[in-house]
Amino acid sequence: MTPDEKRLAQIAHLWNSRAKGLITHMGLQIEQANRKGVKIRMPHNPDFCVDNAGTMLHGGILTALIDSAFGLAFFLAIDDVKTMATLDLRVDYLRPAKSRADVIVFAECYRDTRHIAFGSGKIWFDTDDCEEVARGNTAFAITRGSGPGLLDKLKTAGPGN
Amino acid sequence: MNISDIQARCESVPFFRFLRVEFIAATDTTTTAQMPFEERFIGNPVLNTYHGGIIASFMEAVASVSVMDDANSELVKPINLTVDYLRPGIAGTLSTRATISRKGRRMASVETVAWLEDEDKPVAKALFHFLLV
Repeated sequence: MTPDEKRLAQIAHLWNSRAKGLITHMGLQIEQANRKGVKIRMPHNPDFCVDNAGTMLHGGILTALIDSAFGLAFFLAIDDVKTMATLDLRVDYLRPAKSRADVIVFAECYRDTRHIAFGSGKIWFDTDDCEEVARGNTAFAITRGSGPGLLDKLKTAGPGN
Repeated sequence: MNISDIQARCESVPFFRFLRVEFIAATDTTTTAQMPFEERFIGNPVLNTYHGGIIASFMEAVASVSVMDDANSELVKPINLTVDYLRPGIAGTLSTRATISRKGRRMASVETVAWLEDEDKPVAKALFHFLLV
């Protein structure tokens, strides 16, 4: 493993093991995580549906999912990130999220500047035709610098410590 | 719309129960609601702040209810949203007010604002479009 691959693996591992709250509740599984983007699976969960039969996801959970994926994508793509916060987020719901299949999200950082990072992503159901249900775009406010970064903070905070 | 009718209708929606949305008041153009803080709403494990997606989901839930014709109508279809995150969503009861900008026959546009203790210091604002047909 190159040092870079090791760093990416460490971030992905920490992101999973130190997660709490919504990320844990969503049961996210990282399928791909590198500088070019992240691919994350969210298992079907009736809690996130609008009907008691559990067949249609609420749009809000797709927004939460893509926001989470952007966070990890920027973390991986930007080496010296110290803090980050979502500045804005735009989501288009392309069709009703009607399925009991798992949901997959892909998110990438396509440009990062000193203060701002831009991301783009899409969400589809893990079915034969990979029907796309949403697209999202975001801008994150980031701070950079040497010294303890986000990675170090995650190592020493959150559950497991 | 009557608040207890709205609340009863929303208790039948699993995701609204997950969010624990409590409706406070509703007029023809504005709907206000609250959501208590829960550990499962945390997004940042270091700061223990609300997940941005939960804040957006809460605003979307209230915005969608604000454009319903009556408490027993079908849920409206979300088209898209733009959310502007203004301050950290620290732990505490979150409030939101949805204001209908325009409700036509096919489409509705709704603005929302969410705050913690001080309405003049909003945590987020958002714009939602819904398809009504």
